[in-house]
Amino acid sequence: MSIRLQLLIVALTTLVLPWAGCQYARELETALRDSQEKSLLASAGTIANALSAQPQRVFRDPDDTRAFAADRGDLYVYPLLSQPLLDGYRDDWGVAGNPTPLPTATGYRARAQAGSTERYLYLYIEVDDTQFDPEPSNVRPGRDRFDRVNLALQRPDGTREFYYFGTNAPGLIAAQSIVPGGDGRDRAVEEPRIQAFWLQTAAGYHVEARIPLSFVGSRLWVEAEDGRGNGKSGVDAVGVPDGGRLFFTTAGLADLLSTFVRDGTRATVIDANALKLGVAGTLSANIPGASEEDTESWYRRLMSVDTSSFPLQSSAPDRLGGNSVAAALAGKAHAEWVRSAASQDLLLTAAAPILSDGQTRGAVYLEQAGDQLLALRDRAVTRLFNLTLLATAAAVIIMFGFATWISLRIGRLRNAADSAVGSDGKIRLDMPESAGADEIGALARAFERLLARLNEHTQYLRTLGGKLSHELRTPLTIVRSSLDNLESEGLRDDQRRFVTRAREGTQRLQSILSALGAAARVEESIKQAERVNFDLRELLSSAIAAYRDGFPQSHIVLETPPDPCFIRGAPDLLVQLLDKLIENAVDFCPSAGTITVRLERELGNYMLHVQNDGPPIPQALHGRLFESLFEQRQGRDDKPHFGLGLYIVRLVAEFHGGTAVAANRADGGGAIFSITLPLI
Amino acid sequence: MKKHIAIVEDEPALRENYSAALARHGYSIKTYANRRTAMQAFQIHLPDLAIIDISLEDEAEGGFDLCRDLRALSAELPIIFLTARDSELDAVSGLRLGADDFLTKDVSLPHLAARVAALFRRIDALRRPDNAAEIIRRGSLSIDGEKMQTTWNGAPVTLSLTEFWIVHALARNPGHVKNRQQLMDAANVVLDDNTITSHIKRMRRKFQQIDPAFDAIQTVYGMGYRWVE
Repeated sequence: MSIRLQLLIVALTTLVLPWAGCQYARELETALRDSQEKSLLASAGTIANALSAQPQRVFRDPDDTRAFAADRGDLYVYPLLSQPLLDGYRDDWGVAGNPTPLPTATGYRARAQAGSTERYLYLYIEVDDTQFDPEPSNVRPGRDRFDRVNLALQRPDGTREFYYFGTNAPGLIAAQSIVPGGDGRDRAVEEPRIQAFWLQTAAGYHVEARIPLSFVGSRLWVEAEDGRGNGKSGVDAVGVPDGGRLFFTTAGLADLLSTFVRDGTRATVIDANALKLGVAGTLSANIPGASEEDTESWYRRLMSVDTSSFPLQSSAPDRLGGNSVAAALAGKAHAEWVRSAASQDLLLTAAAPILSDGQTRGAVYLEQAGDQLLALRDRAVTRLFNLTLLATAAAVIIMFGFATWISLRIGRLRNAADSAVGSDGKIRLDMPESAGADEIGALARAFERLLARLNEHTQYLRTLGGKLSHELRTPLTIVRSSLDNLESEGLRDDQRRFVTRAREGTQRLQSILSALGAAARVEESIKQAERVNFDLRELLSSAIAAYRDGFPQSHIVLETPPDPCFIRGAPDLLVQLLDKLIENAVDFCPSAGTITVRLERELGNYMLHVQNDGPPIPQALHGRLFESLFEQRQGRDDKPHFGLGLYIVRLVAEFHGGTAVAANRADGGGAIFSITLPLI
Repeated sequence: MKKHIAIVEDEPALRENYSAALARHGYSIKTYANRRTAMQAFQIHLPDLAIIDISLEDEAEGGFDLCRDLRALSAELPIIFLTARDSELDAVSGLRLGADDFLTKDVSLPHLAARVAALFRRIDALRRPDNAAEIIRRGSLSIDGEKMQTTWNGAPVTLSLTEFWIVHALARNPGHVKNRQQLMDAANVVLDDNTITSHIKRMRRKFQQIDPAFDAIQTVYGMGYRWVE
């Protein structure tokens, strides 16, 4: 595996950064959530304390501790924001809650809802009665039966007034009170201040009534009565004298609350029945910044806390529910995360009890959008994610670049090391990267030192032959001159034999020594050679003619171009080169074999090929044939070859700016030596 | 009268061997191990011939210095360099300093004796009145085998002994190709091909100093050299 790949993989470990960021964000969120809970709980407690101190501003009647009982005809009075039109429809009330069913013993179903503005109490009754029984004219309300809605009002002064709504022509009507007549006949008298609208529908009828608040105390009994049979729904003031209570919201409480409430928080005050007494503040729907980013981004999904385990917020338009409300009404402040029933948004709720004389009289309930937190976290996580991803990408790119640089340097060093010792045995002493201050630089310098030592050694070895031959020459001369002297002393024949043997030995030694020293001499004489322009073709023809005489047993063929081939160089040296190549070829060519000398022009060079029949050059010798003193393959004769011949060939070729290579013939039937010689 | 030969050679065994061999040929020999003792002796009495090694004890080129000093003492004294150093540069330097011959230590003792004798013969011949024995004439060339003297158009060509024998061998049979071995045999030296080549080159230059148009020594590629008239 390359260093680049290795470092790339190492760089990938920086991906742990985004992961750590996510973990951190998760913990951050938990901490934030905790602190939000605490702070909301503290707010709720503060508001509850403040409200506990002024119960008269919280409760319409601070002494009223009644429990709400729908089966006794109790009604919650919704605060209405605007004056509704009397048209038999409650759409314009702006109230989310549905009318509550009135208690019934007969199965006659009716539902009622109450609301109030500053001046009026509005009452809406919905009766399921497909058969319309109109009020007869000259009605005797005490005795006549017709579809009607009975209404009893407890006036603020405690007195009770009885009214009913009935009509023979649906539309705008007035309430009618029953006045006993002198003749024993009671009669109906319109009360024009109590207006109503009777609307007949397919399922029954609606009555939307408007009653001035001055008529209304704390109780109101309502009852729908069928014109036929005994169908009744609701409670009457006589049957349930302590029923029909009205639960108003507290006027001014919303304003009071709003002084406590911060933005994005909704505060609700409830009484002990969990009925809403006042609401202030709104939940912020849009969190600034949240919409800027794609909140459905993949890491949001990756990160999102599972909110489905949170309970749904249980609240009705008129009352609140849920664990925190129950806890608060039990006297204990409590905070809870819930999901909004309508939007599934995460909400933080906190409730604290409002106490009076040690009794829990109600609670303050605060809600805050949890999405704020989510958005906050998302923003943090997104930034963190982007930053760490950016950092990771940067780290990976930088590491990759760095690794590439390192590999390049090592590669350069490797290439230089590969080619430091050339095929000609010459050693390049300078290494790339050796100026580097790091380990690679140190390695390059170590290489340089190694090569320098190697070079010294090579130089030593190279000159060793010459030195040896020089140093051995004197003792050899002593031996030989002594032998000369010995011979002159007049030896016996048997003695002379040994002297002759000794002389032969010295002569062999002599030839070995001159071979050893020859390389240096050849190099020197090549250095001093003079260059002239001459015709290579003519030189070849005359030289080959001489070789044919010299080696009659070999068949030497010469192929040359038809035109003169002028090159610049030393003809003497070229003849030596040719001598060596021909001698070499003759050595390996079988007696009936052919030696072909071919000169051809190729690109900017003359190519001189000398090829012979015979054994191919062993693979191991390729590239080493032209080395100095390299012991060559065994020729036909048994004398060892010191390999100076082909070394001279190389030196001469290089002197002419050319090269010398050896190869085997394509048919494997011999060797071919090729010399390139540049044109003039 | 015995000829006096001085041998300046720092290697005692060689010194004694040369001395013994030459003494056997009837010369009187004085040997010296270094330049200083040799020079002291030469200032008192000049030998008839000096054989000098180039490197003498601690002086790598002591022989060259000695040759120069000796040449200053006498212009005619024959000097032979006999050395283990065989580079062409050394040979050229030695001959340029006025040495009459340059032999490597590969030379055998009989050969050395022959060269010494040849040198004495040339000197004797120069001192004797002319006799026309053994004179080869080839066009502008004239070779006196007795005096070992070569002239071209009458002007003397200063050849070393080796060069003289090479020219002699070539000119004796004009037109005949002599290969390097034959030339070596003629000069009675053991030289490698390159040294023959450089000898030929140097001889051509010496002739060309007298006659720039000289072109009598011709190279026959792959074979050797021949004299053309």
